[in-house]
Amino acid sequence: MHIPDGILPASIIVAGYATTGGVTWYSLRQIKRDRNPQENIPKASLLTAAFFVASWIHIPVPPASVHLILNGLLGTILGYYAFPAILIGLFFQAVMFQHGGLSTLGVNASMFGIPALLAYHLFQLRYKIGKNNRVWTGIFAFLAGAGGLGLSVVLFFILIITNIPANIDATVERNAIYGLVLAHIPLMLIEGAFTAAVALFLMRVKPELLEQ
Amino acid sequence: MTRGLDAYAYLKSPIHRWEVRCKLVSLLALIFAFAFVQQLILLPAMVVVTLIYYGISRLPVAFLLKRLRYPGFFLAAIAILLPFSVGDTVIWQAGFLALRQEGLLALILIITRFLCILTVGLILFGTAPFLTSIKAMRELGLPAVLADMTLLSYRYIEQFGEDLRRMQTAMRLRGFRVNNLSRRNLTVLASLIGSLLVRSYDQSQQVYQAMILRGYGCVPRRRQRFKTHASDLVALVVTCFVAIGFVVAEIVLAS
Repeated sequence: MHIPDGILPASIIVAGYATTGGVTWYSLRQIKRDRNPQENIPKASLLTAAFFVASWIHIPVPPASVHLILNGLLGTILGYYAFPAILIGLFFQAVMFQHGGLSTLGVNASMFGIPALLAYHLFQLRYKIGKNNRVWTGIFAFLAGAGGLGLSVVLFFILIITNIPANIDATVERNAIYGLVLAHIPLMLIEGAFTAAVALFLMRVKPELLEQ
Repeated sequence: MTRGLDAYAYLKSPIHRWEVRCKLVSLLALIFAFAFVQQLILLPAMVVVTLIYYGISRLPVAFLLKRLRYPGFFLAAIAILLPFSVGDTVIWQAGFLALRQEGLLALILIITRFLCILTVGLILFGTAPFLTSIKAMRELGLPAVLADMTLLSYRYIEQFGEDLRRMQTAMRLRGFRVNNLSRRNLTVLASLIGSLLVRSYDQSQQVYQAMILRGYGCVPRRRQRFKTHASDLVALVVTCFVAIGFVVAEIVLAS
């Protein structure tokens, strides 16, 4: 789902870098407010590497298999570190595997990173409503995982369909976006269920990973 | 190290000798200039410039071809859909299939820009050790948190990849076959990723303690010494001039 080089016009590329720059600045400012931001850097870095590797796992979705995006899960675990983590992960994807691209790094980082931050806040809502048991953790992790991917899918198709350098009829464009987003609902459900399963596993084995 | 990105960083060429900070600024400027191009008439010049830089870098052609195989799927989908679904001017028809001029031209623009940007990116990161490139980015103003996270993540990607492979082999040896999508399989795979995260978290504690013992955060950061020569600056100016040339030509042609 990464947008490769060459597809988007320069204005969107610049806007993508501007958005990513702004959100990165905001995330780093939040990170500096931590009690000990230095201590969290190795944790966030190694978890970034682990997430990068985890995205190589393929899930069988007949007739093919898909790899998970995990941006919702990344948000739930890393909080404000999620955006820099996604930026770094996408940079590695672009230079090592040519997935995505250097010119579209800003757009891709915003497309996956902003939903990850929203997923983080969604997951933290369980504290606000005072429900931090297994059932509610599972429910909020599902919403974070499915919502994180869902928002990325919507952004992806809007960017692609509205920026292909040829004229497409507006109605066709709108219907294509609706259709493609609806087609991705099963993947959102899988990503949500998977995020919930990982969150419940961590709650049992290493609960401090879910605490901010 | 990882996946042989900098496997040819040891070669000797003018691009390899180019001071890394100058190279980063110049080639990134070229990448953005290429992304700016919309006029088909500029595409041959873009290809020629890219080929000249690739030729000067002395990177093997096989390196480029191997890297081109990875991003195929998305582009293949666009290559199939665009010429047959976008535009009004039909230039060839066979039954319900109609090849349209606008879609075909859009495809040529996308593919050429993609190939040129990707090639310049490979020249940029394939002609210097990856760690040196990250240190150069730090010198150019990349925030310390991002630079540290990038270096540490890069250091551990290979190791976690090996951990994952070992865990998957162990799962297969115990009879796990992930052939269909079921709740049980999803839970097992979630546990696999959960274990990977727990391992990395545990290791991060040791890494942090080791870093503290070595003075992380207490000792002033030693700056990487990059030496800039006149030839580096000349190459920087020439490349930026070429990049600006593309942007100006695009603006003039578009208006």
